[in-house]
Amino acid sequence: MIRTFVERFLLVAFAAFLVSVPWVVPVIANKFWVSVIAEILIWSIFAASVNLLFGYVGLLSFGQALFFGFGMYGVGIGIDQLHLSFWSAFAFGVSAAMAMALITGIFAVRLTWHYFAIITIVFSLIFYFLAVRLKPLTGGDDGINFSLPPVFSFGATRYSLTDQTFQYFFILAIFAICFYLMYLVTRSPLGRAFLAIRENDLRASLIGLNVYVLRLIAFVMAGFLAGVSGALFAFFGRYASATYMFYHVSGDGVVWAIVGGAGTLFGPVVGTTLFIFIRELVSTHWEHHSLIVGVMAILVVMLAPKGLVGLWREGLSRIGEQKTSSELNAKARLRSQP
Amino acid sequence: MMDTILLLALNGLIWGLIIALIALGLSIIFGLLDIINVAHGDFFMVGTVLTWYVLQETGLFWPAFILVPVIGFVLGALIQRSIIQPIRNAAALSIVATFGLSLILQELVRMIFGATPRRILPPIQGTIPIFGIEYEIYRILAAALSVAALIAFFLFLQYTKIGTWMRAVRHDRETAIAMGIPAQRIFILTFGIGFALAAFGGVVAAPITTVDFRGGVDLLPFCFMAVIIGGLGNLPGTAAAAILLALLEGVIQSFADPTVARISSLVLMSAVLMLRPQGLFRGLAK
Repeated sequence: MIRTFVERFLLVAFAAFLVSVPWVVPVIANKFWVSVIAEILIWSIFAASVNLLFGYVGLLSFGQALFFGFGMYGVGIGIDQLHLSFWSAFAFGVSAAMAMALITGIFAVRLTWHYFAIITIVFSLIFYFLAVRLKPLTGGDDGINFSLPPVFSFGATRYSLTDQTFQYFFILAIFAICFYLMYLVTRSPLGRAFLAIRENDLRASLIGLNVYVLRLIAFVMAGFLAGVSGALFAFFGRYASATYMFYHVSGDGVVWAIVGGAGTLFGPVVGTTLFIFIRELVSTHWEHHSLIVGVMAILVVMLAPKGLVGLWREGLSRIGEQKTSSELNAKARLRSQP
Repeated sequence: MMDTILLLALNGLIWGLIIALIALGLSIIFGLLDIINVAHGDFFMVGTVLTWYVLQETGLFWPAFILVPVIGFVLGALIQRSIIQPIRNAAALSIVATFGLSLILQELVRMIFGATPRRILPPIQGTIPIFGIEYEIYRILAAALSVAALIAFFLFLQYTKIGTWMRAVRHDRETAIAMGIPAQRIFILTFGIGFALAAFGGVVAAPITTVDFRGGVDLLPFCFMAVIIGGLGNLPGTAAAAILLALLEGVIQSFADPTVARISSLVLMSAVLMLRPQGLFRGLAK
């Protein structure tokens, strides 16, 4: 009771804050933080893709950077070499990521646990090395730079991501759509089936769920989310590079999702926000901010394996319990009085 | 042409022996503690860095062969006790914790040692003729030392009390504990030995490669390949796979570039994972 109330309030406050960012943040901090928040939104979608697999289906993927990279390169190559328009480049990037997720998923989801984690690393490494090698197409580690086509154009008025406020709202809109879709999926029978597989895949298969196909669906959905975030990041940075396909990027996503709270809708947002804020705050003073990331990853696994959101919910339900138990005690005392 | 192939094959063979040392540690840690140690490549890197410090402090290379594995063992034991032990209940998340450990080790080395890669001169200079090519003496010594360490490790596992205990815990943890084997101490020991092996590999490899805080990152996928192609938990298989893979990459490198060699071994590894997840050699030895 108390949980749904408090969380709904927080959600509304959070949404109100996000909508007001381009006006409020430059006043209380400076303009730089608007783009930091935009970046957080993009990476939150990436962490959500890890979360969909690990938190809802129980598959720990260390290779989501592969699909991020395909989204990114789809946009980069689409604009730079195929001269696509904004929306077709976007669609091209996301479909490339989903197609790749389908192809690798056919093989990867046959495995589970440690084997699944390892095969996803292996697949992402294969394409990382390919991207490094195919320098004329991908630019290798240096990457490719490109300039942006307009998003909408009505006659003479053009909306392009070069306008910072427009860019922020564009990213926010995509972020909202992705999380709404994720919310719908977790509420649907499909989402329930995912949870059944996470809890016990043998039982799930015995009640008639096709575990292989469901895992593959989840894998392609996660590929979609990672692809969207990669495509957005390419638009955001006007840049695509092979370094974003390395497994350290996947590892970051895993840490963000798990520290925030795997298996919860907004856990990845919490984790991503925390780490990117730390990075931006600390990196100007101290270049070794990765130390903090490492220490926090270990501490969360040790102390709060359900992540920060899990910790928060435990705290809330404890308060709730205390309240109800003290109410019960009070009632009992009243009753016992003659 | 023949000379190049031979040279690269020999280089590959020696790297394979060093990687076998590192991959063995990875494999026993997985077998006993059920932990995928993403930080294992960094244990090797710490070994190379410690070697550099031993050389700076004493001016001699040789003490590193004793000192660095001992320091590695202590570090490994400490890490097991302080980080790995408390997360035993969250085995699925162990990969996240070791990823964090990997970040910490890399960042600490970058902070203390610096980000610039450095080179160490081999303690023995000069070349000798082998099969018609001039080959560095140190590399042959490196191969001999790695083989010696591999043999010592297998003898330890086979013929000492603690080695037998380690095998027992790996085989059946519950029964081993019921028989009075101190499993807790065996876990600490295993992690320490794993670190020590990787650190020893670091000492041996330090004059061949560069000393760099990212030195473990490139190596890690290779070690995983050896462990998987050899079969998770199959120690002789792991050693054989490491040598085979490195030899293969060496030979491929003689007519294609290193990236292509790396991609082909990764593809080979995915095929093994899909078709024979128990490893290539299961069923051959037993």
